[in-house]
Amino acid sequence: MRRRERTEILIQGSEAIAKEFAKEIEMIYKVTVIQKPESALVLLKTRETAKKSLFYLGEMLVTECTVQIQDSIGIGIVKGHREELAHSLAIIDAAYQADLGETRLWSLVLENEKKNIQKNLQELNRSILRTKVNFETMDVQ
Amino acid sequence: MGYVAVKGGTKAIEESIKRLKYERVKKGTAIELHKIEAGMRGLIDQVMSESSLYDQTLAALAIKQAEGNPEEAVFLLRAYRSTLPRKHVSRVISSENMKVERRISASFKDVPGGQILGATTDYTHRLLDSELEQESDISIQDWLRAFQDENHSIENQDHMGDLNHLPKVLDYLRSEGLLAGCENNDLQPGDVTRKSLEFPSMRSERLQILTRGQTGAVTSLAYAVIRGYGALHPTVGELRVGQLPVHLDHPLLDEGQEEDSYYIGDFTATEVEMLIPLTVEKDQGKKEIEFEVGYGMCMGQNETKAIAMGILDNCLEKPNKEFPSHNEEFVLYHIDSVESTGFISHLKMPHYVTFQSKLDSIRKSKDKTTEQEVGLHE
Repeated sequence: MRRRERTEILIQGSEAIAKEFAKEIEMIYKVTVIQKPESALVLLKTRETAKKSLFYLGEMLVTECTVQIQDSIGIGIVKGHREELAHSLAIIDAAYQADLGETRLWSLVLENEKKNIQKNLQELNRSILRTKVNFETMDVQ
Repeated sequence: MGYVAVKGGTKAIEESIKRLKYERVKKGTAIELHKIEAGMRGLIDQVMSESSLYDQTLAALAIKQAEGNPEEAVFLLRAYRSTLPRKHVSRVISSENMKVERRISASFKDVPGGQILGATTDYTHRLLDSELEQESDISIQDWLRAFQDENHSIENQDHMGDLNHLPKVLDYLRSEGLLAGCENNDLQPGDVTRKSLEFPSMRSERLQILTRGQTGAVTSLAYAVIRGYGALHPTVGELRVGQLPVHLDHPLLDEGQEEDSYYIGDFTATEVEMLIPLTVEKDQGKKEIEFEVGYGMCMGQNETKAIAMGILDNCLEKPNKEFPSHNEEFVLYHIDSVESTGFISHLKMPHYVTFQSKLDSIRKSKDKTTEQEVGLHE
């Protein structure tokens, strides 16, 4: 599983999963914190649709953490003030970068959580789609 | 005009700040941040958009400190923002990836994908709901349970559409040849928070200033355009509100592949594409109507502001000396909340020396006039 899909599941899913994965790694390997979780900004580069050019919509507050396991650096970065999650994400990222054996066992958990996320999203969408409307124009005499 | 500083008054200023706190808390009840976050979505979205900083918790804190005054809350957030390091620029965010929660068109009744009202005050009666006086956490929980049960019972109806891949109205118009097509323009945007604005401005700078503009100011100028102080007759082609995902490339490794990027979360945004008809002269003087697009996008659900931004975007694309609304210096220099409220409110700060020098000038000219009048009489 590539990083984009992995981080989507870990952030959108239950925070307990990231916490559990990180704890598992910390029990076995030496984790060095290079940068403890701290607030930072991400500039949001956006494409407008009128002329399809780029502009900056604003900035998003994030919490970012960097750790090292063996020779691999891991980065955890997440929207808002979420120090514990950023720390867990950094450890998980480093674990994948170092290709630790434990990561191979995580795929099934992540796949299952992905199904939960999709189920919740479908439920939300069905609820929103109840507001779908068909306007009828009145006859003009 | 020169400025002369004043000194003194430390004790009085300290007492004034204490008095300000007293006014905030004098009723003996504290508003918890989570309650502001839970119940003041509209104000939070406005403050985040005008501050150009997306974080609901910080916006709630600013609103609490500012006692609900948006201009002060925006000032606080902008000041706080300036203390944080900007470490990353996101991958390009595209509204095609929006998880849509609301999507309407005022131009096309049968828009591809359908009209989805979502959460809107558009069709409410605007009657004060006195039942809210009695609303409690328990009554809210009960309502939420009933709402969720109702949603659980909805059967999957695939034919109703996919909210994550709704076709864009503009793409439909472009495919029909009703709107000129265009390719992606990847010119790196200007950033008005790092480099002072110069005229003529870049399109990216205009959009950045419009999106962080004060809601009331942006709306008022766009209203003036439609009332006649401008040369546009726009219609909402598409308005959508929803969640946009943000991704980052690895800051150290040049992986460059989307699949290797970091997902960091979603944010709520409002996007509006305004359709503006334009009569163009074709071969042999034949006149045809074409459409132009005005673009508006704001963080949060700020629909009026996004529509107004779309109107002003198109105005500024077509400079016209007849109307101030088509003059980029007039529009862009006067819509920023911190700049405009900051300048106006600074007028109440001590200007004693400036004012005294004006008084002296008036006194001298009056004395001269009196002397001349006395001379005439003699």
